[in-house]
Parts: sequence; structure tokens; C-alpha cells
Amino acid sequence: MTDTKSTTVAPADLRTAHEALAGTTGFVEIRGAGTAEGWAGAQEPADLVLDTGKLTGVLAYNPADMTVAVRAGTPLRDLQAELAEQGQRVAFDPARVARGATVGGLVATADSGPLALAHGSMRDLVIGATVVLADGTVARTGGHVIKNVAGYDLAKLMHGSYGCFGLLAEIVLRLHPVSAATATVRIDCRLGTAAEHAATVLASTLEPVALEWADGMLLVRVEGTEAGCETRAGQLAELLGGAVLSEQGALAAWKRHADLVNDAVVRIGCRPSRLPGVLAASGGTAVAGLGTGIGTVKVPYEAIEAVHDAVTAVGGTSVTRQRSPLPARAWGRPPSAVRTLRELRAALDPGGRLCRGRFENWFTGEAIS
Amino acid sequence: MLDAEVLHAFSSAVGAANVVSDPVRLRSYECDGLTGFKQVPSLVLLPLDTAGVAAAVRVCHRYGIPFVARGAGTGLSGGALPVADGVVISLQRLRKVVEVDPVDRRAVVQPGVTNLDITKATARHGLYYAPDPSSQQVCTIGGNVAENSGGAHCLKYGFTTNHVLSMTVVLPDGEVVTLGEDTGEQLGPDLRGVFIGSEGTLGIACDITVRLLRVPETVRTLLADFPSVTAAGEVVSDIIAAGIVPAAVEMMDNLAIEAAEKAVGAGYTLTTPAALVVELDGPAAECGNQFEQVKAICDRHGCTRLHIAKDAGERAKIWQGRKAAFAAVGRISPDYIVQDGVVPRTRLAEVLGRIETMGDAAGLRVANVFHAGDGNLHPLVLFDADAGELERAETLSKDITELCVELGGSLSGEHGIGTDKACSMPRMFGEDDLAVMDRVRAGFDAAKLSNPGKLLPTPRLCGEKPGRYRPHPLEEAGVIERL
Repeated sequence: MTDTKSTTVAPADLRTAHEALAGTTGFVEIRGAGTAEGWAGAQEPADLVLDTGKLTGVLAYNPADMTVAVRAGTPLRDLQAELAEQGQRVAFDPARVARGATVGGLVATADSGPLALAHGSMRDLVIGATVVLADGTVARTGGHVIKNVAGYDLAKLMHGSYGCFGLLAEIVLRLHPVSAATATVRIDCRLGTAAEHAATVLASTLEPVALEWADGMLLVRVEGTEAGCETRAGQLAELLGGAVLSEQGALAAWKRHADLVNDAVVRIGCRPSRLPGVLAASGGTAVAGLGTGIGTVKVPYEAIEAVHDAVTAVGGTSVTRQRSPLPARAWGRPPSAVRTLRELRAALDPGGRLCRGRFENWFTGEAIS
Repeated sequence: MLDAEVLHAFSSAVGAANVVSDPVRLRSYECDGLTGFKQVPSLVLLPLDTAGVAAAVRVCHRYGIPFVARGAGTGLSGGALPVADGVVISLQRLRKVVEVDPVDRRAVVQPGVTNLDITKATARHGLYYAPDPSSQQVCTIGGNVAENSGGAHCLKYGFTTNHVLSMTVVLPDGEVVTLGEDTGEQLGPDLRGVFIGSEGTLGIACDITVRLLRVPETVRTLLADFPSVTAAGEVVSDIIAAGIVPAAVEMMDNLAIEAAEKAVGAGYTLTTPAALVVELDGPAAECGNQFEQVKAICDRHGCTRLHIAKDAGERAKIWQGRKAAFAAVGRISPDYIVQDGVVPRTRLAEVLGRIETMGDAAGLRVANVFHAGDGNLHPLVLFDADAGELERAETLSKDITELCVELGGSLSGEHGIGTDKACSMPRMFGEDDLAVMDRVRAGFDAAKLSNPGKLLPTPRLCGEKPGRYRPHPLEEAGVIERL
């Protein structure tokens, strides 16, 4: 949300990103592809909009090292296409990637997809980053090697920060091979049954890379060699009483999954075994990562508060993925260390310039209700 | 020396019986696994629970006394080196496995629990804790969190940071918070991730919730000899290029093999210039196929002997040889320094060649043991202190890690910066990078009481002028820039 007086700057590299913030004043909105603009708290009107639309391109890619450095405004979809030519990928598949979400935006919003079961989220895949702080200071963290414990891992701080600790300008990612084959097993069932199936699968040694229930269908995906996938998908289908989907069938099923996630109103994280209960109680259209404990639900706006409360009651966290026209909290309970977050905000952005409002009242020092 | 009022406060905080002040007993805390640095602490506190840790830290905060948390003291970078006029807070009495949850595949453990004991406590459910540093029988999970420990299997499974869901943390002012959530994914900023690997400088982790993995259906391990380190390196590259992610790929050179064989007789070939340990795991349907591919790649690069572990006993033997290598070099040299550095995997051959040249120039032998899959080197610099070689060995060792940075890598892959490499940090990070890290530290610990002098260079430790910054190779190539 910006008012008419704001100026938009679209830096194309680190230097211009630095110049946009160094020696300037006023509030700043960071804008990527806009695919998560409606997530979390609304950004307050800013004097300057930093648009990462031109901050794109691969900086270094050595396939043999399986790492890539990119400018943060690069759409992940474009990067994946480039990596696929070498048989590699970022093992990360959130729903909004297809809509052009940027690498930086995906890190800043702590997004994830079904593959998180096997590969985690961006926090597990980012190995280095270059960040521009509110005062223009350029800081590097991590590096270009997957194993590295030198210094604080500031990329983790940026993960899920919605831009409040700095602008992600460059990101180094670890890559994985594109597997030779993949197969998906589908079981049509209710969420409660799906949870029982999930427990069976997770107690087996079949190692699914994704295990998701999406509004009436349980999808279990395996990846590996051609023969291995066929064997394991067959075993899963038999174990759970489901069907191995054709390639087209699998694409369609996962597309439906992504559509449901894209349409969700609240994103939830909690202990995996508690997720089905919370989702069922919400009464909404739900998608459940039964191994990860990450789920999304579409509910009417007036039900958002009730979802936050139910998630909080089981010790989970929640955040909205669509801006409610009604007064409703964007975030469920704030984290236990909210005071430390406030101190870090004060240390890295003392004027509170960046992306104000994204965390509602976490940073303002107001009492947290 | 601490005055009577402070002593009384510490006694009240943790109980008089849990305060060590006897100078003789204090000496056993004077160093960690990096024995070259020594400092006897003023006092050692042995709290019995999180509340005791928090009470001790609050006393430190009230009186401005620096503190150093300590687990088993196995760290190799001087991260648990006591601070003069400071106290050591030992977590050795917090060693309960609080909870094992086989349904959500996680365990809650206190910081003094050893890495291997987590797996022992969960094995009956078919689960295990994946990160496996070589010292896993003795090192504690609290220390693993501080150092973001890895191990031989982290190429496939990741590091401590990928396996810890949340922690109860005593912040440096004594407040007790939870970092992380019930799921591995946090929706907001990942303070858990900032804390893990912060080497005790941001607070003390107490109850730690770890993720457990299902024990894989199959494990296949082979030991292969090669006519040169280069040939073995090419095998590693080809395995990766084939799209295989092995559970582990370890390389040892002849000197390391000689030492390990003398120590444990694990069946390595004494005359081979290089040996690789390759382990694959996963569903049987996947493992068998890929294992055949790995064998073919070994053959293609002139493998002179291929030994496949027939059972768990033979596998353990192969790993015993690999894991014994560090300590075993004591058998071929009176003294040695264990180094830890990382290069992009494709530069392994180059770095090994240069290490050899540097060793020759210094008149010292260097044995090499490393996690070849992720380019993490552990050169062992052999020397004889009685022959006055210590200083030369230390210089060579430091030059090797700085060479790793020069080749686009890192000062440390898993041992941490600690005291040992704090002064080398300016080789890898610029002034602004380090200043920002210091700002982050201030966000957690404004008074700088939690393990001061570690990780970040300080004028006291390194002199007023930090070491000269060498441009990162990507900077020289114009790929990245420093503004």
C-alpha cells in the first residue's frame, strides 16, 4: 500500500540498491513480484518503494559445485528453468512460484511447498546472502560453499523477516539433482483418515518427498530412479489402498493442491499430529502437510480470529495470506523472543524505516495482546 | 577474583554444592579440545536445571561478569575457552532425555545429553538423530547447537541447524525464551537459525527439541583405493554429476591411512595413495541401483581395490578407520594440529596440491582427511614441538585455512571460529560484514557477557589493525562487489 507521494526506485544491482538506501530518509516499502503483498500485516504507506523487479539474474553458477548465486529479484521459476538445463534444481516448490515469486520474496516470507518434507524450506537451502540494511550498509553472510560455520548466519534472520531487517540483494543457494523419476500416489479420503495414512507412511522406510492432504485427496510423492519409484509407488498404493497416478494425473492433482494453497486465507504451523484437529475445527477448505505440520486454510474473513486462537491453543503459529477487509489480526501469537526481535530491529534499522506494519505491533513496543 | 557478595549470589543461584572454586578443580576447565589456549576461570557453576542456568546468568548480568557455557569440552576451536575474571557455566548436570515422541518424530533433550545418546534413546522406535560429528560419543547436543555441528553424513542430511526445531534459551540477561517453533518452519524471522552456530555468544541453550529421522531401509558402504588423490577426487565429482547424493563421501590420503591403520587396523591398504569411503542409504529399490553406478565410476578412475562392507560389523570397521584418523596421527608424529576449512568441491585437487607445496616449503608433513562430498578439509599438520616446530606448524595451519577462503571457501566447515580463528575472520568478511554481525550480537547481548572474545575479532585478541582483507575470488572476477 503506497500513497501517491511515494517514489519508486528499481535497483538493478547491489550498488544501486545501496545507493537507494544510503543517505536517504523516509519509510521504505520493499516490493518484489507482489505475490505475497497480501500476506501478514499491511505495509504502511512509504516514501520510497524499492522495487526488486530489475534486481535479477544469475551471478555465478558452477553446476559441478551445485551452488548458484542470484540477484534476489530473480523469479524462482526462471532460475529453475536455467538450472534444469543442467539437471539441477532448487529443491523448493511453493505454490506461488508459478505466479513469478522472486527468490528474495520466497526467503523473506518463509514460504514453503510440499517438498519441505524432504528438503526443508529456503532457510535450509540458502548458504549465503548479501543484504542492504536500512542505512545502506552492505553486509555479506555465509558464502558459496554448502558447509560453512564462519560467523553468524544472517540469512536465517532474513528468512521470514518480510524485509524488516534489510533488503535481500543477492542470495546463494545450494542445489539438488533433478531426480530421474517421480511418482505420486493418490488416496481419496477425509482428513482424519489421511492423518492415519500419514502415520503409516512415515513409519515405513519408503521415504516420500511430499505427503500432503488437499481437500479430500491425500497425495504421496516419491522421487528417485525409474525402477525405484515404480516399486515404491506400488508399495505405497498397496499399503494405503490408493492409486498410482499417471504423469498427467499427478500434474493435475498437484496443480489442484497449489490452487488451493494460493487461495488460502491463513497459513498455520504446528506439531504435525495437531494440524488435522486445528484444520478440521476451522471448518474451512484445508491443505495439510501431514509430515511437516504446515497447513493452509480458506475460511471466511470473520473466522480468521478463531483460527488464530485455535492454533495458539495447540502451541502453533499462524499468519494470514489474504488481507481481511474486516479488523482481524494478521499474526497469531507473537514468538516468545519478541523482545529480542525488537532489539534486533533497533540494532539493524534504528529508524524503523523498512516495511513498517508487516509484523503489526511486534516492533513498536506496544503491549502485545 | 570475585568478591564475597558475588560468590554468595552464585551460591544462592545454583546451590553452594554446585559451585567449584577449588583452584585444582578449576584447572580441569582451563581449555577445551584446542589445548593450545588455556585460561583458568574464576569459578565454575554446575546448575541442575534451566532455572539454575537462568539464575546464574542473571547474577552475571547483574554484576557484569562474563560467562562461558561448556558442554563436554570437545570443541576444536577454543569456543569454550574460559574468560579471565569470568565464570564457566557447565551444562554437564543437565543430561536428561526429557521426552521422545515417536509420532511426531522428535525428542526433547537437555543440553548435556551426548549426541549419540539421543540416537540410543530413540532407536527402539526405529528413529535416529542424523548429525554425527566424529566426537558423537562424548560431545553434547548443547555444544552441537553452539557450533552447528556437522559430521560425515551432513552432505545428504544437513547440519545441526536442519535438525533442531526449537530450544529453550537463557538469553544473556537471564530471560528464558523459546527460539523456534513446533514445526521446522517458522513463519516469522528464524532466530533459532541465528542462534545455532553462534558459538555461545548469544545465550545458553537448555531444553533442545530435535527432529528424528526414520532409520533408512538400506545402507551400502564401500572402501575404494585409488592411484592418486586426484583420481579419487574425480570419482567424487562423477558421483555428484550422476545426480547421486551419497549419505557420505570421505577421503583419506596415504599419511592419514598409515596413521589410522597403525591405530585401529581397520583393513585400509597401507600403500595406497588415496582411499574413498562412499556410503549410500535409503530405500533398497534406490540404493542398489545407485551403488552399482558408484562402483562403475570407481572402476572408470582406476580403482585398485574395492572393498564392500558385507554387514554392519564390516561397515563399522571402515568407519572406525576413518573416525580414528585424527587421534591416530599421534602415532606417526609427536604433535599435530587438526585444521578445518572448506573449498568448493571442484577445487579439492587444487587445494591439496597447494597444501603439499606449502607443507614442503615449511618442512612439515600434512595428512589429509576430509569430507570430500562437501569440500570440507581436515588437514592434520604434523610437527615436533620439542624440535621447535610449533610456530611453523601454527603458521602453516593458519595459512591453509586462509587459502581455503582465497579459493572461494570458508574458514570453517564445522569446528567453528572460536578463539582459534577469530583473527582470521577479516580474511573472509569485510569490516561492514563484521560490524553488522556485531550489531546482531548487540541485539541479543548488549553487555557482551556471553562468551566474549570468540567468533568476532577483537582488538585485544588481534591487535588494533585486523589482518589485511583479501578480495573474494568472485569479487576479483567481478561477480560480486564490495561497496
